[in-house]
Amino acid sequence: MQGSKGQSEIRQDGLPFGDLSLLVTAAHELKAPLSLVRQLSLSLESSGLSASERDRLVHQITLTSERALRLTTDLTRATRLEDSLFDLEPVNPQQICEEVAHELRPLYAARGREIRVVSRYRPVLAVANKDLLRRIMLNFGDNALHYGESEHPVELHTRLYDGGTKIRMGVRDYGPAVPADVWRRLQSHIGTDTQLLHARPQSSGLGLYVAGQFASVMDGQIGATRHRDGATFYVDLSASTQLSLL
Amino acid sequence: MTKTPYVLIVEDDEWLAQQHQRMLEAAGIRSEYVAHALAAIDAIDAVRPDALVLDVLLAGPNAFTLLHELQSHSDLAGIPVIFCTNSADELTPEDVALYGVRYILDKTTMLPGDLVACVKKVLP
Repeated sequence: MQGSKGQSEIRQDGLPFGDLSLLVTAAHELKAPLSLVRQLSLSLESSGLSASERDRLVHQITLTSERALRLTTDLTRATRLEDSLFDLEPVNPQQICEEVAHELRPLYAARGREIRVVSRYRPVLAVANKDLLRRIMLNFGDNALHYGESEHPVELHTRLYDGGTKIRMGVRDYGPAVPADVWRRLQSHIGTDTQLLHARPQSSGLGLYVAGQFASVMDGQIGATRHRDGATFYVDLSASTQLSLL
Repeated sequence: MTKTPYVLIVEDDEWLAQQHQRMLEAAGIRSEYVAHALAAIDAIDAVRPDALVLDVLLAGPNAFTLLHELQSHSDLAGIPVIFCTNSADELTPEDVALYGVRYILDKTTMLPGDLVACVKKVLP
């Protein structure tokens, strides 16, 4: 099975929206990690640092660079969706969640945060491309990192809905509520626009846009739920009937 | 006895906030950091800082919401503010002077000593 090719918003030269807004957004979003890497590097040059402080700075530089590189890799992939075919297959969402949590755990730990997978009892399979689904969840996990109280872990979860025909994979954070007007704007643009969510400045509007493109290739869609104490960003996919046939 | 100056840093990137704090403390300036505007209001209520180092885009209410709040209190309106932001190219000193912003530091080009230099200039 293969996902639908390309998106109507993608031009032949690969630039979504038919203008330079994506490039502008990408440049803006890369500013934060690049300026942080620069500041940390400059700090390394200063005297009076202990060996452990130097190790900590090097570790922070590595993790910040990796986050920026994930964004650039996703961006590259998103602009090539037009030319690519993505195999869809039954994928275990729980396993994806575990892999994503494993990959993000060092970054979370370095920020004094925790990420965990909420276990489910009934096995489910989603119809998805494993790599794209993993990238979507990494995006959500990256976005959730900066929001929430340090004592409350960010949670990855999976659940069936719509009579068991759909699977929702979500990333729940616990933090300051997003103002209602900002949330309404987000809801109307999520996955289709690269606008930053200004009440969550370190969130990646670009990352959400890319996640929306990836979901669309898998005939899915992304969305978000606002909670009194945070938010859940999720992707909805078709459930595979493979298990039920066994 | 001379009072040790105290600076409040409002910065939602903890690692950058720690760098700011390290620089200031190396210069003999006591500082604390908080991640968002609401926490900043609580911190300012507890101890009035001699200066505020403020990122512009914050989780929840942004820097201008905080500055509006400070301007509405006569005893807090005079706290000197230094913006430290990735959006420096979108701001002009004239636009933000009314809010008590004395300097705008661009995170993408600033040097480690710049923050200390600006803070020293605004301290009483």
